[in-house]
Amino acid sequence: MDYVISILPQMCLGWLVTMQIFAVTLLSLPLGVILGIARLSKFKPLAWFMELYVWVFRGTPLLLQLLFWYFGLMAVGIRIERETAVYVAFILNYAAYLAEIFRAGIQSIDRGQYEAADVLGLSRRQTMTQIILPQVFKRVLPPIGNEVINLVKDTALVYIIAISELSRVARIRAVTDDTLVPFVIAGLFYLLMTAIVQRFFKWVESRLDYYR
Amino acid sequence: MYMLQALDIYKKFGHLEVLKGVSLQVKQGEVIAIIGPSGSGKSTLLRCLNRLETIDRGTIEIDGEIMAKNGPDGRAVYSSEKDITRLRRKMGMVFQNFNLFPHKSVLENLMLAPMLVNNVTAEEAEKTARELLAKVGLSQKADNYPFELSGGQQQRVAIARALAMNPAIMCFDEPTSALDPELTGEVLRVMRDLAFEHMTMVVVTHEIGFAREVANRVIFMDDGLIVEQGTAEDVLLNPRQERTKAFLSTVLTAR
Repeated sequence: MDYVISILPQMCLGWLVTMQIFAVTLLSLPLGVILGIARLSKFKPLAWFMELYVWVFRGTPLLLQLLFWYFGLMAVGIRIERETAVYVAFILNYAAYLAEIFRAGIQSIDRGQYEAADVLGLSRRQTMTQIILPQVFKRVLPPIGNEVINLVKDTALVYIIAISELSRVARIRAVTDDTLVPFVIAGLFYLLMTAIVQRFFKWVESRLDYYR
Repeated sequence: MYMLQALDIYKKFGHLEVLKGVSLQVKQGEVIAIIGPSGSGKSTLLRCLNRLETIDRGTIEIDGEIMAKNGPDGRAVYSSEKDITRLRRKMGMVFQNFNLFPHKSVLENLMLAPMLVNNVTAEEAEKTARELLAKVGLSQKADNYPFELSGGQQQRVAIARALAMNPAIMCFDEPTSALDPELTGEVLRVMRDLAFEHMTMVVVTHEIGFAREVANRVIFMDDGLIVEQGTAEDVLLNPRQERTKAFLSTVLTAR
């Protein structure tokens, strides 16, 4: 128990780093909405570009993308901060997944909703913001919740470019102190975070339960 | 002067010719019922009138202003988007599937377009909305959501929503076809009230009884053409064309 208390401050620092990556990557949510709409653009080159984007960023390991944004850019003479590389990699990768979820959500809305808005004289923008997207958000909540929980766990990948987030701290302590206890504690931290995310999404779902 | 004039309308979906030269003229205050078998093009005609579908050839005039007319190459050319938007605002549309906005309450469904499109204040929009709900007999449902209403109630809300934009013409695309038989009456009653107030109406319908009772003119369409038209009595009771007779006997014996 004394040992647990002795490593807790260090674990908490790692946890803060994890939380920071997690929080910044949530920017991929609005980005995903925009990319999902762009994916459905009538302007074909834009739609094709988005298809390519989703293919590349969803089709390669996030680990590889992290290495690319840090070491890859360094190799061609572009130096960016480790943290910047992490944010870029995570946001672009998650935006690709989320864009697909939003695209499918938008396409799942009945054509009659567009027609009703159209005959009432709503502009395309009004139709999107007032009629379509509010319904899309309700529908995509469960898959978005999945992605956000994945994100909690994916933050562990940044150990590869030597950023001391929760799991890396645990590993270092485990090796130096020759014990598995830090891993157990890290696991509990992750469980706590995912539990909070789960509760949050459950709450939002219940808030949107007033209509079907 | 016609409230609505569509001349020689042609429309193809891919290789399928859906409208093969249809003309329709509607005077102010007229109630027109369009009947015919499924696939006859009657719904497409209605949807062409307010540009839910674009026509290939022909002229469409609303309230004396041109929405589309044939260009030099014989294909229909539409007016500017701005003009079309203005002209379409004169037309209300009621769909077979209601298409209410599920995430908005009944009252919000009625207030949304007047506020967003006509820049009406919230108080004014709400006042109009409540009046219209009273008119369709749903005052007590103002704060409910569409899923809490029966089909007939939803369709009455949809009619009120269209009326909230104060249209000059109301178009109905098979407004009772998605309803259980016992719910069609309440919707037809609201439409009948509108007709008695001299609302200009174009109604695509299977309700022969409604057509007979309310319509000034009945149009029978088949295979992309108007086969026969005239007063309800002429077309429904004394049809001249064989195809009209055949259609009427199938619909009337079916009930």
